[in-house]
Amino acid sequence: MIETQLSELAAATEARIAAVTTAEELEAIRVEVLGRKGRLAEVSKDMGKLSPEQRGVVGKLLNAAKQTLETALTARKTAFDEAALSARLEREWLDLTAPAAGAGLGSLHPLTQIQAEIEDLFVSLGFTVLDGPEVETEFNNFDALNIPPDHPARDMQDTFWLSNGHLLRTHTSPVQVRGMKKLGPPLRMIAPGRVFRNEEVDASHEHTFYQLEGMMVDKDVSVAHLIYFMKTLLSAIFKRDVTVRLRPGYFPFVEPGFELDIQCLICQGAGCPVCKQSGWVELLPCGLVHPNVLRLGGIDPEEYSGFAFGLGLTRLVMMRYAIDDIRQLQGGDLRFLTQFAF
Amino acid sequence: MKFSYNWLAEHIDGLTVPPAEIGKLITMKTAECEGVEAHGAHFEHVVVARVLTSEPIAGTHLAVTSVDTGRYGVKQVVCGAPNCRAGILTAYVPPGQLGVTTAKLRGVDSDGMLASAKELGISAEDEGIIEFAAGEPGAAIPGCTGDTIVEIDNKSLTHRPDLWGHHGMAREVAAIAGRPLKPIAVELPAGEPAVEIEIRDAKLCPRFSALRFENVTVQPSPLWLQQRLESVGLNPINNIVDVTNYLMAELAQPMHAYDAAKLQGGRIIVRVAEEGELCPALNGQTYTLDPGNLVIADAGGPVGIAGVIGGGPSAIGEGTTTILLEAANFHAASIRRASTKLKLRTDASMRFEKSQDPENTVRALARAKWLLEQVSPGIRLVGGLADVYYPLPAVAPISFDLVWMRRKLGKPDLTAAEVTAILTSLAFGVAEAEGRFTVTVPSWRATKDVSLKDDLVEEVGRMIGYGNLTPAPPLVPSVVPPLPPERTYLRGLRQLLTAQGYTEVYNYSFVNEAQAAELGLPIEDHVRVVNPIAQGQELLRTSLLPNIKRNINDNAREFESFRCFEIGREIHARGRELPEEIPHLAAVSFERHGDGAANLFELKRLAGTIAPGCTVEPAEARGFEHPNRAAIVILRNEAIGRLFEFHPSMVETGLAAVLDLDLTKVQALRTAAGKYQPLRRFPTSAFDVTVPVAERELAGNVLARLREGVGPLALDVRYLYDYKGDSGRSMSFRITLGAADRTLTGEEVTAVRSQVMSWMGL
Ligand SMILES: [Zn+2]
Repeated sequence: MIETQLSELAAATEARIAAVTTAEELEAIRVEVLGRKGRLAEVSKDMGKLSPEQRGVVGKLLNAAKQTLETALTARKTAFDEAALSARLEREWLDLTAPAAGAGLGSLHPLTQIQAEIEDLFVSLGFTVLDGPEVETEFNNFDALNIPPDHPARDMQDTFWLSNGHLLRTHTSPVQVRGMKKLGPPLRMIAPGRVFRNEEVDASHEHTFYQLEGMMVDKDVSVAHLIYFMKTLLSAIFKRDVTVRLRPGYFPFVEPGFELDIQCLICQGAGCPVCKQSGWVELLPCGLVHPNVLRLGGIDPEEYSGFAFGLGLTRLVMMRYAIDDIRQLQGGDLRFLTQFAF
Repeated sequence: MKFSYNWLAEHIDGLTVPPAEIGKLITMKTAECEGVEAHGAHFEHVVVARVLTSEPIAGTHLAVTSVDTGRYGVKQVVCGAPNCRAGILTAYVPPGQLGVTTAKLRGVDSDGMLASAKELGISAEDEGIIEFAAGEPGAAIPGCTGDTIVEIDNKSLTHRPDLWGHHGMAREVAAIAGRPLKPIAVELPAGEPAVEIEIRDAKLCPRFSALRFENVTVQPSPLWLQQRLESVGLNPINNIVDVTNYLMAELAQPMHAYDAAKLQGGRIIVRVAEEGELCPALNGQTYTLDPGNLVIADAGGPVGIAGVIGGGPSAIGEGTTTILLEAANFHAASIRRASTKLKLRTDASMRFEKSQDPENTVRALARAKWLLEQVSPGIRLVGGLADVYYPLPAVAPISFDLVWMRRKLGKPDLTAAEVTAILTSLAFGVAEAEGRFTVTVPSWRATKDVSLKDDLVEEVGRMIGYGNLTPAPPLVPSVVPPLPPERTYLRGLRQLLTAQGYTEVYNYSFVNEAQAAELGLPIEDHVRVVNPIAQGQELLRTSLLPNIKRNINDNAREFESFRCFEIGREIHARGRELPEEIPHLAAVSFERHGDGAANLFELKRLAGTIAPGCTVEPAEARGFEHPNRAAIVILRNEAIGRLFEFHPSMVETGLAAVLDLDLTKVQALRTAAGKYQPLRRFPTSAFDVTVPVAERELAGNVLARLREGVGPLALDVRYLYDYKGDSGRSMSFRITLGAADRTLTGEEVTAVRSQVMSWMGL
């Protein structure tokens, strides 16, 4: 009697499980049949009325039915879960080619980039980095650099004079003076920064540009050292072996003074329009620090000597990126500046 | 400064360096050559020609001529010169020279050209074709030859008074080429000075030398002299003036010739000008002088501005028959000051300001006498040299050791013989014993150029050739350089900004008055540029904002939205002291559309990344700020900057918010690295509080009030959201509680909650 009931229930439930269309219906069947108060539980409650022999038989049947139904339920449930997951995944299709929201990477000004790169190079060679004011005293900008008042060399640097009696520095060289006083010998320093010349602006002339002053003072610093150093440094900056040459150049704060040329990187010295067919490109002024300058920096020229040079950062940036209009650099045009986001 | 190869070669015995190479040699050893070009190559081909016939072409100013050119035969040439007529001797330029071609002019064939002195490059004379008094058709143009002109950058001659003349440059070339320089004679016949000279200030005028000549004929110079002057950029004027210019270009000694008949009294006085004294000059201008000018005066007043320009009334003219020829020396800095002040830079002042050699005056006069005798036949010297000379203190001989020279150059194999040979070739006097040198400096290098042993390093180094030094690594100690923290900080800040999408701009340090006024920046707080050459450079910026505003409007035309920043210095006047330069950050967030809130909160977020822990407090808006969107940014109770939206009237299109931070303050107030805090071991509890608030209540204020009332167990009070409904506005906050030594009980949490509710009056 009870056996029949049980097998009918099992068969009917199996059929219902096979027929369900939703996970909710399946759950309802589970609760109805296999739940704590479900129909199988009722059957097991009734088992108490049976004889021990019958109880053993029915118990086995009951367990078998339970197992069969649970297996069927689990199989259907897994099927429903998988279907639900794959439906969700399907729904979650995304167009990853659409643009990302929010701001992208900003860009550092190309002058900031080249300055940082060159600063790092110098720091790796034991140089400290100093800073000087944009507004300088006439003394630091000229006199301390061996350019007294009414010296014709003052004509080389058209100066912005200021209402407070001072001037906008025409070069980063005044930081030499500040550096010598601050650091004392021996010393290795660079001073990158903004400098000013009072001239008309056009595609190749600016009244505001960037220089990097460098100075090394030690015992026995020679011209041969300067040549070696500049060649090493410029090879690192241009990321290739460069050939340099020195020729006489007049700058009152160095003696002897040089113009340093590098062999044209475009034509390797064969001659091209960039180097005006000469094979050489004038790159920077340098020289051995004039004894008067050392003295004004509080350094004894009999004991120490040094070299100094001035690198045009603006010029390097223009060379590196082939910028043909210097005004772009301080024009604030983001169409130009955003090109330097690397 | 232009140098003629032929002229240089005349001063050197046996110069074999070809013209094409001379520029490079000078560049490598002496001064920068800016260009080398052929001058007068056509003189190989241009010939003297006789005009046989000249017939006007009807209806034109032209004439058709038949010309006997000798070398090229008889040619038909069309000529438009007013002086073209049969019988004259002129110059014929064959086709292929000076751009001349065989052409048809008004239907008439013309085979070549008859040329003016200007067309030939002899002088500026272009009134008609050149005429010769004598000559044979087919002969070369007398005195004119092809030459090579070497142009040297004036800047690289700043320190070399001697190189402002051909003789000085020839000395360099001779030394480079290893050839002897031909000396220039200094002899003059003895005689009583023909003029009395009085120098009132020997510092301003160390020397004044003069010669007087009579029986002078003023006429055009011979062609060779004209061509030579023309080739180096000087205009031929007349034989007398041309001689003075020739010697200036040869010996670097400016000279001046006066019409002696027009000088008053028998005495020349060199003195400072009186205030307001007038001097009519050669160029037709009358200059008003002051005691900053030195004048050459006669009994009647100034006859020239010393070292700058000669006077007009005593200038050489057609009727001149006696001349006074001056060769003087003046104090360089004074001449430079005077010429700057008069805004008159002349060939003379340019030379004098380089500190010319006083020894040179007599040499120039002696050479002038020799030359005048060639160009003004019959000229006679009257008396002897007038010469007042207050010699400058002599430059002491310079001593150095060979070892020192080797160390300076980095050339250990340098020999005493090499050093001696080089210095001697440059006219230094050299005494050497066992590597110890004593060097005397020639007068033309002693005025300013050479006074230290370091100056001799250059002389030796350049002549050896820097390319002949072996590059050597400097021996310096390995040290970790001390790096200023500000640089490191600013570099990190720039990285942080770009990583968050801000692009860096650089602006000028200048603003103009209108820009400053527009932002209400007091003009008097600015340092002013006293000599701006362009508009927009009057003031140094006391704020980055004027230029940032320009950046916004410029870029608003191109972009829907953008973020940018500048790190630059504000420059604040401090009287006569150097101004204070304060690094500032100005960051911009711009959107063409939207309500602007996103910009401001973006910048507020940015401020929090730059100055963690900063807060903002509403502030009274300045004129250019949105009246309801301006705030100060505060870090550790100190204002570090400002957050605002530009007033709509300041921005042509869109909405622009700005964060302006004083980076000196931000750096000073940043949290220093501190000790590690142990992590909390016991769980925390949290509850939310919703506070009804007034329409314009500030979240910051409510938050501050809550923080005051939450008690010691509160770990964090956080704003959640703002809600506006029918019943008004409310804000929700989450309060997190915890204790270091235990888990809080439900009762403790409830107690804090009730305490907060009653504190807030809820
Ligand atoms: Zn090239």
